[in-house]
Amino acid sequence: MSSLTRTLISRGFSDLETSERFLGFSELADIDQGTLLDALSVADNPDLALQSLVRLLSAVPEARTKLTMADPEGGEPISNESLFRLLGASEALAEFLMRHPEHLDVVDGVPSIEPMAADAAGLRASVLRAVGADTAAEMPTAAMTGITARLALRSRYRRHLCELAVRDLGAASPQSVMPLVGAELADLAAAALEGALAVARAEVGEAQGSDKVAAVRFAVLGMGKCGARELNYISDVDVMYVVESVVDPATGASVLDEGEVVKVGSAMATALSRAIYAPEREPGLWEVDANLRPEGKDGQLVRTLDSYLAYYQRWAQSWEFQALLKARTIAGDQSLGESFEAAVAPLIWASSEREGFVESVQAMRRRVTANIRDSEADRQIKLGKGGLRDVEFTVQLLQLVHGKNDPSLRIRSTTAAIDALTKAGYIGRTDAALLRNHYTYLRVLEHRIQLVQMRRTHMMPTAPEQLRALARSLEGPLSLKRPSADSLLADWARVKRSVSSLHEQIFYRPILATAAHLSAEDAALTSDAARARLAALGYRDAAGATRHIEALTAGVSRRAALQRQLLPVLLGWLADGVDPDAGLLAFRRVSDALGTSHWYLGMLRDHQAAAERLCYLLSSSRLVSDLLEVSPEATAWLGNSKELVPVSFESQWTEIQSKLSRHREGSEAIRLIRLLRQREILRIGIADSCSLLAQDEVSAALSDTDRAAVLGALMVAEEEIYAGSEPLTQVLVVAMGRQGGREIGYGSDADVLFVHQPVADLPESQNEAATQQAKAIVQRLTALLTAPLRPAIQAERVLSVDADLRPEGRNGPLVRSLEAYREYYARWSSTWEAQALLRALPMAGSDAVAEGFVAMADPIRYPQSLSEDGLREIKRIKARMESERLPRGADPARHVKLGRGGLSDVEWLVQLLQLKHAHTYAELRTTQTLPALHAAQALGLVDAADAEILESAWRLAGRIRNANVMWTGTPSDLLPTARRDLEAVARLCGYEQGSAAVFEENYLSLTRRARAVFERLFYG
Amino acid sequence: MNRQQEFVLRTIEERDVRFVRLWFTDVVGSLKSVALAPAEVEGAFEEGLGFDGSAIEGLARIFESDMLAQPDPSTFQILPWRGNGKSEQTSRMFCDVLTPDGEPSAADPRNVLKRTLAKAADMGFTCYTHPEIEFYLLKSDKPGPDGIPVPVDQAGYFDHVPGGVAQDFRRTAVTMLEDVGISVEFSHHEGGPGQNEIDLRYADALQTADNIMTFRTVIREVAIQQGTYATFMPKPFSEHPGSGMHTHFSLFEGDSNAFHEPGAEYQLSRTARQFMAGILKHAPEFTAVTNQFVNSYKRLWGGGEAPSYLSWGHNNRSALMRVPLYKPGKGQAARLEYRGIDSAANPYLAYAVLLGAGLKGIEEGYELPDAAVEDISALSSAERRILGHDPLPSSLHDAIRQMEESELMPEILGEQVFENFLRNKRAEWQEYRLQVTPYEINRYLGVL
Repeated sequence: MSSLTRTLISRGFSDLETSERFLGFSELADIDQGTLLDALSVADNPDLALQSLVRLLSAVPEARTKLTMADPEGGEPISNESLFRLLGASEALAEFLMRHPEHLDVVDGVPSIEPMAADAAGLRASVLRAVGADTAAEMPTAAMTGITARLALRSRYRRHLCELAVRDLGAASPQSVMPLVGAELADLAAAALEGALAVARAEVGEAQGSDKVAAVRFAVLGMGKCGARELNYISDVDVMYVVESVVDPATGASVLDEGEVVKVGSAMATALSRAIYAPEREPGLWEVDANLRPEGKDGQLVRTLDSYLAYYQRWAQSWEFQALLKARTIAGDQSLGESFEAAVAPLIWASSEREGFVESVQAMRRRVTANIRDSEADRQIKLGKGGLRDVEFTVQLLQLVHGKNDPSLRIRSTTAAIDALTKAGYIGRTDAALLRNHYTYLRVLEHRIQLVQMRRTHMMPTAPEQLRALARSLEGPLSLKRPSADSLLADWARVKRSVSSLHEQIFYRPILATAAHLSAEDAALTSDAARARLAALGYRDAAGATRHIEALTAGVSRRAALQRQLLPVLLGWLADGVDPDAGLLAFRRVSDALGTSHWYLGMLRDHQAAAERLCYLLSSSRLVSDLLEVSPEATAWLGNSKELVPVSFESQWTEIQSKLSRHREGSEAIRLIRLLRQREILRIGIADSCSLLAQDEVSAALSDTDRAAVLGALMVAEEEIYAGSEPLTQVLVVAMGRQGGREIGYGSDADVLFVHQPVADLPESQNEAATQQAKAIVQRLTALLTAPLRPAIQAERVLSVDADLRPEGRNGPLVRSLEAYREYYARWSSTWEAQALLRALPMAGSDAVAEGFVAMADPIRYPQSLSEDGLREIKRIKARMESERLPRGADPARHVKLGRGGLSDVEWLVQLLQLKHAHTYAELRTTQTLPALHAAQALGLVDAADAEILESAWRLAGRIRNANVMWTGTPSDLLPTARRDLEAVARLCGYEQGSAAVFEENYLSLTRRARAVFERLFYG
Repeated sequence: MNRQQEFVLRTIEERDVRFVRLWFTDVVGSLKSVALAPAEVEGAFEEGLGFDGSAIEGLARIFESDMLAQPDPSTFQILPWRGNGKSEQTSRMFCDVLTPDGEPSAADPRNVLKRTLAKAADMGFTCYTHPEIEFYLLKSDKPGPDGIPVPVDQAGYFDHVPGGVAQDFRRTAVTMLEDVGISVEFSHHEGGPGQNEIDLRYADALQTADNIMTFRTVIREVAIQQGTYATFMPKPFSEHPGSGMHTHFSLFEGDSNAFHEPGAEYQLSRTARQFMAGILKHAPEFTAVTNQFVNSYKRLWGGGEAPSYLSWGHNNRSALMRVPLYKPGKGQAARLEYRGIDSAANPYLAYAVLLGAGLKGIEEGYELPDAAVEDISALSSAERRILGHDPLPSSLHDAIRQMEESELMPEILGEQVFENFLRNKRAEWQEYRLQVTPYEINRYLGVL
């Protein structure tokens, strides 16, 4: 390795090959290489500095004199660090100096390590002088127009930009001067606009007469970052223009009428933006963006004050007032601009009392927390999680929530607002310091990246040498560190993480501080302010919420300490649910029940996903939170996805068997069986509401659970009734209806048929005894499953067994032998009984009896042909059901089971197809609705479009039924009408937040169409 | 409290307003009104006024009857026919109907139109409408001894009747309309005896619909003051023309008329052709809305100028849609006239379905059939079939059937209004079918 290479590395060069080549260029021939390399090493990017230097010297040989400067202490000439820093930081500004060497003097002098911002008035005067305008005039007018004026204006702006960059780069702590730099950039932009306005006056004066221009008062309002005086090195400058006619002092009348003023004003605004950025030899500065004006792009470019006010009073939307928060007069007629500010100020703050404020705050909050899905998201400094936008939103949100009562918060710039929020006690000091630090850190990053090419970018570079230069640039010139690309990325990641957690910390922690006495470091809100924050988040009973927070955080227990740490985050998660108040209460109950178990605290602390799930469940589902309150230990599943997989029927059965073997006594055994069922329902409910299960899986899992319980109860009953002697008969439980189709929901009954089969070789005389025994078993089984237990199982959802679908309904015997069924069906059976059998699926009992039953049922339910009479009977029963079964007063359009296009329409249609065709096509022989529908479609019995409508309606109706139980804890077959219930159900059905109306409309339209299909295919 | 609301409160104070009426509309377009004392207005702005929606046709289902009426301050107006000159005034505001949760009620007709206009706005359009409202002026609301209503005069189209009741009437009515802020473009005597037409100046569609509701009230009030009776019944006389509400539509994109294209056939832009195609294609589906009563079909099929076949034409008075003539160079005046609506339609729903159908045409890029150049009613039915001039529904029953089949109507009206509207109309048809009419008695009793 040559010694030059080693020197280059030690001086911070990265692109050694190129730099060695540049060092050989003739422009550098008579410069001492060692001194040069030492000088270049002060640049953030020495490679870039070297290349720019060579280009500069070749374009402007006399720039040589600038390489060194006199030592202020009288010694040997010293290296001009400002020049090298500038060359190494900005290629764009170096090129400007090559184009305009007359401005090379910007690098003269030693910049302060604690620089001051340039005076705004001075900048304004300098730019005005550059275009030959009188700086003292009330309406300065340029002495030049067109290309000459643009050149003068733009190069003067860039000169000041260079001066600022030199000072910025020389500052010992870039982060601490960042607010000053942002302010000066805004002032410089304002000065440029003032200059451009002077040019516009001259140009429009030439075209339309200078007397007209002189009669127009013209004010430029800066919006966005320019208004807030925290501009970037390069960015669009958002503006609005206010115009007004000059009043003739003699008559007191306006010189121009409104139409004329607007016409001349518009011409001036157009000329102004042309002066700033129309393409020219000296490139445009930045885009002047007036799109925040009323009516946006379609609105008038300029308006009079009255016209603005009329618009804001009548038409403006919330976001427009939020934009006005930052409005500030930056150029033109100062007093006109100030009247505008004064006139809109009351409107801005009144806007927070408007309707929908809470919604818009929540929308804002979502925007803060929502991940921007973008392939470049992880390189974004501004957007993305933990970006600048997050900081800005956090601050603005707090300003909006508290600013309507506290005028001291009505401040434009982010850093100043953070200070004001801290001073007034809305943010804790530590948090504020962190937030401010992160903000300036991210802004300096952004500035340094933009400075290089003067391009509007918010992207972290990827090339390692660029990252290294960037890392250095954050340190300031006095630092001896040579930070690496990796350390930069690590720092940045740390800041991003901290920013996103700070949001919760800053927003919620002070709420806690009012309730629990935290350290003095924390901001303590007044209780009103704390309530305002809770209400803004969607807590309806803010006082109640405060009480729960108090209870959760009071005391010295480990739990209270931990909850003080965690609640800020938990409160936010709870607020994402539909009912944060109920969620918080449920959380308190769960926490009281589990507070001392160490795994619970550990889970909350270390397992973020689990804690988030818990909050979501508690504030979205009454079913789950009721069950969690009585079996809080199930909370542990949240931390482990494996625990949320439904337990198979076989495993449940094994567990029941092992319990039965240990607990012989009936009531004890059934208690365990019912508890097990409750546990599994909770498991399914949690998995379901966390979207871990598909709809079909939920029904199947619930069916398995019921089946295990019924089978367990049957075992217990048989044991008791046989009482040790030889059984006379064997009982089979056959599931019917939705239970037979394994399509049940959380509130479903078990529809069943009971069948028995006397044991082989039973003497005729014993037949009656066998029937009695079967009846005893069946009655015992029903009692076991439904009778209240002592002590009662809390929050139990009892499985009620319903045998009403048996032949002859309630009048028929509860249980019949297989033989009796066969006889009955052979003699009496009506078509609807055949239809009911379509859903018959053996559920619990002897396999042999089950086979016998299926063999008996198949010829009945899959008849060779369906008679005209039978067909008519089914249609009539359905028609009668529609008019009679619907609960009184219920709206048929909203009844998901019996209403139009609901579950029963689809199921009856499918069953009709099965009765007609299942004899011919074995594919149709299933107890489940959807497989039968799919088979019918494949066979061409239903066309694809119809089948799709039927399936979607059926699925949605089923989901709504489940969601109703989930949300309220009680089964209901009605689509809710109250908006909040509708919203909750919509979300549980997988809709986005805030789409209750869409959801309702979707359901109504889907079922309307399903009904049309049904009427066509069923009634024909 | 925003500025407009403040303005209303201040006016109530300054003008000594004693009653504030809150107006809204049921699903068939009847005006509903609740009077408030001035002291209650502020509360109504903030929280809305609770009322029992189940009593209002098609507004709410019986089991969830609580609704809120929230006044729209921009529609505040002093009612000139009430109060005594300068003091003790009565005023009105139109209301939006909200659910108890404060959401716009899906069953509120005004909200239906607002939604359609919002959709138009999303597509970049503002919609303007300009209605020509016909009505009969009768001696009384009771029919004469022969069972036929008695008109106030026997004049005809554009007739000037010296000392005529109708003329006085129109003068007073127009003055009063101007007093409530409704600009009148034109007023004249129409074809039938006692029949008058008043044309309102064009305004955005929501405002026009509000204006039509006010218009009907003003006309009835003035008639009562003058001892006559005004009716908007679509067809009160078998032998005289019915009362239509031809409406001109135009869409603007920013400042420019989206229907105008210089140099194109009839200066009609692509947008205009698609809009018209949309309306023609969907007209049979929405006729139950634009012609919502049993009696409406007596007008549609009663001959005369009433258009009953799907067709369009340039200045063809027999066509369902007409491209009116306007002066050259007045591109901003480009518009399309739909001649099917009658004066008894619910203006909110009627404009919503017409605009919705037109927008659908633009969205899907429908092709417009050829213009009709002949008098369509003079063609034979075979000729009409060949030329593609399908008939509009021939009765309310027919119209209900066609609406039930529609996918577009529930999309425009919302599922709930769609359902409520059809339920109401089915009931009307059912009731009508039970009637034995004087016609049947006269025709059959003597001979059978």
